Amino acid sequence: MYTQFFGNYLLSNGYVTKEQLFSAMRREATQHMKLGTLAMHAGLMTASQVDETVIQQTHQDRKFGELAVELGYMTDEQVLSLLKQQNPAYLSLGQVLLDDGVITNADFEKIMKDYSSSNGISDLDAITEMPEAIHNLLNHFLLKSETNISHNGYMFVELLFNDFIRFIGEDFTPLAVDEVTEAPIQCCVEQDVHGEYAINTYISMDEPTAIAFASRYVHDEFQEYDEYVQSSLEDFLNLQNGLFIVNISNDSNTELTLGVPEQKEGDKLTFKNKTLHFTILYPFGNIDFYVELA
Amino acid sequence: MSIDDIKILITDDSILARKQLKDIISTLGSPVFIEAKDGQDAIDKYKENQPDLVFLDIVMPKKDGNTAIEEIIAHDPKATIIIASSVGTQSQLKLALEAGAKDFIQKPLNKEQVIGVVQRFLEGR
Repeated sequence: MYTQFFGNYLLSNGYVTKEQLFSAMRREATQHMKLGTLAMHAGLMTASQVDETVIQQTHQDRKFGELAVELGYMTDEQVLSLLKQQNPAYLSLGQVLLDDGVITNADFEKIMKDYSSSNGISDLDAITEMPEAIHNLLNHFLLKSETNISHNGYMFVELLFNDFIRFIGEDFTPLAVDEVTEAPIQCCVEQDVHGEYAINTYISMDEPTAIAFASRYVHDEFQEYDEYVQSSLEDFLNLQNGLFIVNISNDSNTELTLGVPEQKEGDKLTFKNKTLHFTILYPFGNIDFYVELA
Repeated sequence: MSIDDIKILITDDSILARKQLKDIISTLGSPVFIEAKDGQDAIDKYKENQPDLVFLDIVMPKKDGNTAIEEIIAHDPKATIIIASSVGTQSQLKLALEAGAKDFIQKPLNKEQVIGVVQRFLEGR
């Protein structure tokens, strides 16, 4: 989840254009060695063990290394040693931007320094290993938008970014969060979460973006906006919220329930309560995600 | 008994989830598929078709998965019902199993898991 915020920093501070960033992120992603690949290369895990861990990851929203240890495939020490072999993603992203001539070495030095200090991170390289560092990063990202958010809210947002990474792709940049009272309806799906922590969630995007989104989500090539594309949006939202209530149940024994995902019709959404708006920029289009506190 | 001789009822309000389940199961052979898009539809189609195996989502319009399990089991105590849901909390799992579900698959659907469930069912017959 780290490169995405780094991308946001680069974009919002004018170091890169959206096109330069997407191009660099796409190439960074192809260079980025995943932990499972490193584990297979080191002879620590078999391909089927890696596959099993990745499946568990989508069901439990946990880190690969953490699950691999729990499943008995690796020890904590082995995971740490592999993590050290991984180039931090921000570094390879910086390298691509340097190679492209988008930034200079001097720029990169300044960016790293400013980025660490503005986010209260002491060790940029260690960030992927420390949940509290990611929490810190998320906190600063949300605070910049002057948004107060509860513990459950953090869990929701962290999971949301993880789900975009896992199911749609790493090559996105989140924009600063804002509060809204209404929003235009494009291809839009709503699902409500009921119970002690009740929220209404919405995902919205234009048709070409929805087609590309669904194609990535289902690993298929959709050509037009049809019922499968619409269903993909509902499915993604349902998956996010399903995992969220599992996380909440495990975290605090609070049992929440889900409403049925619904397609929204009309011109605009009008929110009655405080509503946070997340904009996710992908190379194929922009996705709007709204969380209304019910 | 082979997969080609059985009827499978797939219940999910998501047309995508129904297609994904059918695509995965079809790699094993060609059972007769019956589709339902909500809990009430599942109950009606069960009574009408007496399928051998039922896949059921939990969060659905009209009647949810748990209510559908209860009504199907009341009609046929031997029904084999598998839950396929994104809501994998312990309490949800407990409710579904208590209502009479035989197994639980958490979404996103995983091919090996779905195939494993179908194969266990075929071997157990």
